[in-house]
Amino acid sequence: MRGTLVLFLTLLLLQALLGQANHSLTGLHVHLFAAGLFVTYGSLMLPFGPGLATSVLAGLLCDAAAPVAFGTQALLFGLAHIVVFNLRDRIPREDPAARRFIALAVNAAVFLALSAVLIRRGLGRPAAWPRLASDLLASEIALALVAPWFFALQAQALRLARVEAA
Amino acid sequence: MRIGRSQRFDQARPFATLALLFAAWLIAPTAVKSFLRASFFELNAPVPVAASYARDLQEFWSLRLHSKDELIEAGRDQARLNASYALSIQTNAELEAEIGRLQALLRLPPIDRFRFEHARVVQRDFSGWWQRMIIRKGADFGIPTGAPVVFAGGVVGRIAEVHATTSVVELITDPAVRLAAEVAGDTRPVSYQGGLNPTFGPARGLLEFVPLDIWADAEHPKLLVTSGLGGVFPPGLLIGRVVKVESSTDGLFKTGVVQLDPRLAELTEVTVLVPAAPAPAS
Repeated sequence: MRGTLVLFLTLLLLQALLGQANHSLTGLHVHLFAAGLFVTYGSLMLPFGPGLATSVLAGLLCDAAAPVAFGTQALLFGLAHIVVFNLRDRIPREDPAARRFIALAVNAAVFLALSAVLIRRGLGRPAAWPRLASDLLASEIALALVAPWFFALQAQALRLARVEAA
Repeated sequence: MRIGRSQRFDQARPFATLALLFAAWLIAPTAVKSFLRASFFELNAPVPVAASYARDLQEFWSLRLHSKDELIEAGRDQARLNASYALSIQTNAELEAEIGRLQALLRLPPIDRFRFEHARVVQRDFSGWWQRMIIRKGADFGIPTGAPVVFAGGVVGRIAEVHATTSVVELITDPAVRLAAEVAGDTRPVSYQGGLNPTFGPARGLLEFVPLDIWADAEHPKLLVTSGLGGVFPPGLLIGRVVKVESSTDGLFKTGVVQLDPRLAELTEVTVLVPAAPAPAS
């Protein structure tokens, strides 16, 4: 429970910072998407229950600010969490490079899944996909730069709350 | 190495857990979902609102760094603008009085009246999937869902969600937004839809059902305005400029591209047109 709460607070901070970054980038028509950061650390380092709860709560937080059915991103984050959780015994999860790679992969997968879910919002037009591709590229670059800092922040937060990693 | 039955079950159990949670979520009452949605929104809302106040304060202190000569010059330019606006307001009042007189004379139904609520933009969210912004007024100022939102350059969008102290505006650049419009000077309705928002490029919209005798290109654009059909937007508000018109595949109508105002991506203040209460029947 404590682990879930502490990680959720770090994800609240991430949501706030992401919102401000996207606000600043509106003039350039660039949007950053960071599902990988919401899901990766909890799925790699927490037990199944608290980690899944963190990912689902993060998804609900993102859904509340988006014009999607409430629970859409929660379901996608939950699925991504479970896939990473099932694979984590085969990954060097303490390795920063491995964590970064997992975050990038999860981010791309959830981005494409969300685009497929939202296809009815006029995204079926071919003209819409270059914008989505450039958003994904920008998101992956930003995530690759920010991930180590954010994972360190989450690790420090768990250490301060005296929560042991699974 | 063959995977044992128990190992397969262990791998499938998390998916089964998620499936059970999803099933429980599907049958949960709508009131619970609405309450949770509002709660999560309000949980995050103070941060962007506080950030918007911080930006206003930053702007105030940067203006204080200007010399008195610069401020006097800016004030003088502003005074000229205010004088022309004051004259426009006077002319507008005379025209409204004339309209009222003609309505009474010809027993015409009254034109929709609006109350203007000016609101600061808290946060813009322009992704490839949606185009929305949060403004700093909500139910506390009587903002209704669906109210039109405008700025000095024309239509911004409409109110999609209303919360306690904030509202969410769906912009005309959003792919899900459709408006009934008309080319200025022509009364035939056309359909406008948002959604062309290329990276590093100006936002554009799409036109459908354009009559075959309407022509426009980048050198000779035509103004696109709201038609008033649908009862949401008052007629005559500027949407954008039609810069391209070409035949559609069916040959019955044309399709077109609308160039939107680039200031839509940098708005800091908008005006919500709140429908005024109808006058009591005499």
